[in-house]
Amino acid sequence: MSSFKREKKEEEDGGGNPFQNIEKTTVLQEARTFNETPVNPRKCTHILTKILYLLNQGEQFGSTEATEAFFAMTKLFQSKDVILRRMVYLGIKELSSIADDVIIVTSSLTKDMTGKEDLYRAAAIRALCSITDSTMLQAIERYMKQAIVDRNPAVSSAALVSSLHMTKIAGDVVKRWVNEAQEAVNSDNIMVQYHALGVLYHIRKSDRLAVTKLVAKLTRMSLKSPYAVCMLIRITAKLLEEEGDSGSSNNHLFEFIDSCLRHKSEMVTYEAAHAIVNLKRTSSRELAPAISILQLFCSSPKPTLRFAAVRTLNQVAISHPAAVTACNIDLENLISDSNRSIATLAITTLLKTGGESSVERLMKQISMFVSEISDEFKVVVVQAIRALALKFPRKHSVLMNFLSAMLREEGGFDYKASIADTIITIIEDNPDAKETGLAHLCEFIEDCEHTSLAVRILHLLGKEGPRTKQPSRYIRFIYNRVLLEDPRFRAGAVSAMAQFGATCPDLLENIQVLLTRCQMDPDDEVRDRATYYSNILSRQDKSLYNNYIIEPMKISISALERSLQEYIQGDTEESFDIKSIPVVSPLAAEEIQTTAQKTDGMLSSTGPSKPVQASREENYIKELSNVPELQQLGPLFKSSDVVELTESETEFVVRCIKHSYTKHLVLQFNCTNTLSDLLLENVRVQVDPSEGYNIVKEIPCPKLPYNETGTSYIILQFPNDLSQSVGTFGAVLKFIAKDCDPTTGIPDTDEGYGDEYILEDLEVTPSDQIQRVSKVNWTAAWDEATEANNYSMMNIVFSLSSVSTLEEAIKNVVQYLGLQAAEHSDKVPEGKTVHTLLLAGVFRGGADILAQAKLVLSDTVTMELTVKATEESVAELIVFAIE
Amino acid sequence: MGLLSILRKLRSSPEKELRLLLLGLDNAGKTTILKMLAAEDINHITPTAGFNIKSVIADGFKLNVWDIGGQRKIRPYWKNYFENTDILIYVVDSADKKRLEETGIELYELLGDEKLQAIPLLVYANKQDLPNSLPASDLAQALGLPTIKDRAWQIQSCVAIQGTGVKEGMEWACKTIKKK
Ligand SMILES: Nc1nc2c(ncn2[C@@H]2O[C@H](COP(=O)(O)OP(=O)(O)OP(=O)(O)O)[C@@H](O)[C@H]2O)c(=O)[nH]1
Ligand SMILES: [Mg+2]
Repeated sequence: MSSFKREKKEEEDGGGNPFQNIEKTTVLQEARTFNETPVNPRKCTHILTKILYLLNQGEQFGSTEATEAFFAMTKLFQSKDVILRRMVYLGIKELSSIADDVIIVTSSLTKDMTGKEDLYRAAAIRALCSITDSTMLQAIERYMKQAIVDRNPAVSSAALVSSLHMTKIAGDVVKRWVNEAQEAVNSDNIMVQYHALGVLYHIRKSDRLAVTKLVAKLTRMSLKSPYAVCMLIRITAKLLEEEGDSGSSNNHLFEFIDSCLRHKSEMVTYEAAHAIVNLKRTSSRELAPAISILQLFCSSPKPTLRFAAVRTLNQVAISHPAAVTACNIDLENLISDSNRSIATLAITTLLKTGGESSVERLMKQISMFVSEISDEFKVVVVQAIRALALKFPRKHSVLMNFLSAMLREEGGFDYKASIADTIITIIEDNPDAKETGLAHLCEFIEDCEHTSLAVRILHLLGKEGPRTKQPSRYIRFIYNRVLLEDPRFRAGAVSAMAQFGATCPDLLENIQVLLTRCQMDPDDEVRDRATYYSNILSRQDKSLYNNYIIEPMKISISALERSLQEYIQGDTEESFDIKSIPVVSPLAAEEIQTTAQKTDGMLSSTGPSKPVQASREENYIKELSNVPELQQLGPLFKSSDVVELTESETEFVVRCIKHSYTKHLVLQFNCTNTLSDLLLENVRVQVDPSEGYNIVKEIPCPKLPYNETGTSYIILQFPNDLSQSVGTFGAVLKFIAKDCDPTTGIPDTDEGYGDEYILEDLEVTPSDQIQRVSKVNWTAAWDEATEANNYSMMNIVFSLSSVSTLEEAIKNVVQYLGLQAAEHSDKVPEGKTVHTLLLAGVFRGGADILAQAKLVLSDTVTMELTVKATEESVAELIVFAIE
Repeated sequence: MGLLSILRKLRSSPEKELRLLLLGLDNAGKTTILKMLAAEDINHITPTAGFNIKSVIADGFKLNVWDIGGQRKIRPYWKNYFENTDILIYVVDSADKKRLEETGIELYELLGDEKLQAIPLLVYANKQDLPNSLPASDLAQALGLPTIKDRAWQIQSCVAIQGTGVKEGMEWACKTIKKK
C-alpha cells in the first residue's frame, strides 16, 4: 500500500516524464555539442528530442537562439546515423518558422529526397517543403513532380501532402503538377490515392466545370481507397448543393452517393448517409435508405459508429424531423448508453423532435446525468433546450427552471455563456418568460465569477428591467454589484442603474441617491460614469436622456482615439467635432459571425479561423493610410461592399470599393492581370462621373505583372447638390501593355502600346453615404424627432412593382438605402400583408436619419416612406433616390 | 587501398578525424573537387543551394569535407561553419579573371576571421585546362599569398574535372596536420 502511494505521488510530481525539469537555456547550451567532430549520434538525438519537446510544449524561442540552434543542427548532416538524421528533419520542420536563413539546408535535403536511402526520402520532402518559399520552389519543382509519382508510397504521399501545403504560398506552381497528381490517383495504395485526390481537388476547386469533370470521371472508375471515396462523396455533395435544382448532372451525382450506401466499408456508408441526410434537396423517398443506415449504426457494438450516427441524426433533427422520428426506438435505447456522449446526443435529438408532452420526461432523464458529462456536451443540451423553448413557448417555466439549475452548478465560461444566451433568447422571444428569465439572471449574477458574462447581464437588466411591470425589484440586485471588488462589475452596475433613472421617472430620485454614493468610488471609471449619469439625469431633459443614456451613438473607439490624437497635435482653436468620427455599423457584428462560420467543408488545413476584430472600415483605413493623397480627406466614413466590374474569367479582373469621406468619394480599383504574356504599366480606371462630381486626382498603379493585383485610386469631390450624388459612372480600364516572356515575366521590348478595356458601369447609391445605426428604442427616437425642431420630414408613396413579397421589399429597401432596421422590424410575422419597417442611420457629415416604411402587400407591394433627417437635403435625397 | 586496410588504419588511430572547409566563389569547382575526392560521378552537379558534407578516408585520416555554396546570397552563412576547422581550402576559377578581385576580397575576409586564425590555407588554382587560365604562381601573386605570415599556406594548380592536382593538394593538407 505504501509503495503504491509513493508511486502515485511520483506520478503527480511528473516523475514519469524524463523531460519534466528541462530548461530552454540549458538545452540550447547542450545543442552546442552538435558542432563537435566526431558526432555522437546517441547524445545528439537525445538533445534534439529535448528541443522538440520544448517546442511542442509551447516554449517560445527567439529568432536568434533558434537560428543558432538551427545552424548547429545542420552540422549533424555529417553523421550517417538514420535515427539522428530523421530527428534532424523534424528539427528543421519545427524551427523553419522561427529561425532565419533555413534555406542553407536546401541542397542537403534535395540530395536526401532523391537519394538511395528510402528511410530518408519521405521525411526529407516534408522538411524541404517546410523551408521552401515560392521563389525557391521552381528549383525543386522537377524533384517534386518525380516524387509524386514515385513507386514508394511513403514518398508519394509525402510529396502530395507537401504539395497541398505549398498551395498556400505558390498555388500556381502546384497547379502545374496536375498530371502527376492525376497519375497518383491511380495508385494501388489507399493513402496515396486519397492524398492525390486531395491535391487534384484543391487545384481545381475554384473551377466548377473542372470539378464536375473530375467527379464525373472518378465516380465512374471505382476508387480503391475508402478515404478517397469518402472525400469524393464530400466533393460530390458540395457540387450538388451548389448546383441547386438546375444542374443537369444532378441525378448522376446523387446516384453515386446513393450507391455508396452499399459500399463494403462502414466509413464510406456512413459518409454517404451523412451526405444524403445533410443535402437540402433530398426528398423523403431518397432519404429513407440513408436513415436506415444510420439506424443500423445506432445499434452497432462499436461506440464510434453509434456516436457518429446519433450525432448526424441530432444535426438534422430540425430539418428532417420525420426521418429522425423513424429512429425513435433506437434513440430511446441509447438514452441508457454507457457512453455519456452518445446518451446526451440521443436525448437531445429526441427533445428536438418529440412532442410537447415528452418534454418533462426527457428533461428528467437528462437531469439524472447532466453533472457527469463534459461541458461540451452540456452545451449540446443547452442548445436543445433553446430549440424546445422556441418551439413550445408554453413550456418555458420547466425549461427556465432547468436552465437556472444548470447555471447554479459548476462549469466553464462557454457553458455558462451558452446558458445565459439561451435565457436571453427566450426572454426576447417570449414576453411571458421575461420576468422569470430576468429573475434567474439576477440570481446568477449574485454569484458569478465570469466578469464579462456578469457585465453582459447587467447591461441586459438595464435594457429590459425598466420596461417590466415592477422595475424597482431589479435595482437591489444591480446595486449589490456595486459593493463588489471588481471595478468592472461596479462600472457595469452604474450604467445599468442609469438606464432605470432615465426610463422610470418615479425611480429617478432613488437612483440619484445611489449614483451619488458611487461618486465616492475608488476606481476612476466607476466614479466618472456615476458623475456623468448623475449630471445628465439631473437635467430632467428627455432628449438628453435619449441621446446620452438610452441610445448613445456607437462610434468607433479606435477612430475616436486616432482623431483625438490628430486633434491635439494640430491647432486646437476649432472645437473637436464628434460627428466626424465614423459610427460602428451593426452590420460589422454580423460580418464577424459569418466569416467565423464559413468553412470550406473539405480540407480544413488552415485551422480555426480567427474572428475579425476590426470593422470593415478599420481594415481599409490601414490599407488607405499608405496613400499619402488620401490623408487630407479627413476620417473615412464608410466603405462599400466590393463591386465586380468585370465578368468572371476575363483577361482582367477589376473590383471596386467605394470609400466615402465627409466631402469626398474615393474609388479604389483592385485590378488583377491574368495574362501571363503581358506586363501592364500605368494601370488606371478612367471614370465618367455623373453630373456634379469633380475629379480631384487619379492615382494609377505603376506596374502590374501577371497574376498580381494592383490598386489604383480616383479621388472625387461629392456634388454640392446632394440630389446629384446618386448616379451611374461609366468606367474604362486603361494601361500600357508590354508583351513579355510568360516564364520569366521579362518584357520583350521597352516599347509598350496603350490599350483599354471597357468595364461595367459603377453605381453610387445612398447606401454608400450612410452608416447604419442600431436603435434599441426606435419609437422613442422617432417621437422625439417629431417634437424637436431640427428635423425635416419628407414623405412619399409609391409601388414596388418588381417584388412580390414583403420580405423581398424589405431586403431591397434596406440594401439600397443602407439603413439599419430597428426593433426586429425587418422580420415579417408569417401571413401578414401589412408591415411597418423602422430604419435608422447617419449620413456622411453627421446628419441623423430616421425612416419609417409602411408596406402593404396586394399583387405588388406599396410603400409609404417617411423620412426624418437633421438636414433637409438628406431627407430629400433618400425619398427621391428610392423612386 | 583495400577495405580491410582502411578498417585497420581507422582502428589504429580512431580519433583522427579532420574537418576541412571548402570555400570559394560560385562556379569555382568546389563541389566538383568534393565529388572527385569521394570518387563519385561529376556529371550532374548543380550550383549548391546550401552545403554538401562528405567523409573520405585519406592517409589514415577521416576527412569531413564541408563544401558550402559560393553564391552571393549564401556567402553570409559561411561563418556558421568556421568552428573547429582544421584546414581551409579555397578554390579559385583561374580562368575567371573578371572576378579575381572579388575572390581576393572574400579570401581576405576569411583570413581576417578570428575563428579561422592560424588555420592552414590551401588554395586550388582550378580549371588549369582552360586556355586563358592564370598559372598558379601568377594567381598566388594576384591574391597576395606571399604576404601571409600567420599560417601555413600552399597553392596547388588543378583540373578538377580530370582529377589532376586534387590529390597533391590533399597530401599537403594531411602532412601539414601531422606536423602540428
Ligand atoms: N573546364 C573546367 N571546368 C570545371 C573544372 N572544375 C569544375 N568545372 C565546371 O565548373 C562548373 C562549376 O562547378 P561546381 O563544382 O558546381 O562549382 P561550385 O564551386 O561548387 O559552385 P557553387 O556550388 O555555386 O558554389 C561546373 O560546370 C563544372 O563542370 C575544371 O577543372 N575545368
Ligand atoms: Mg557547389
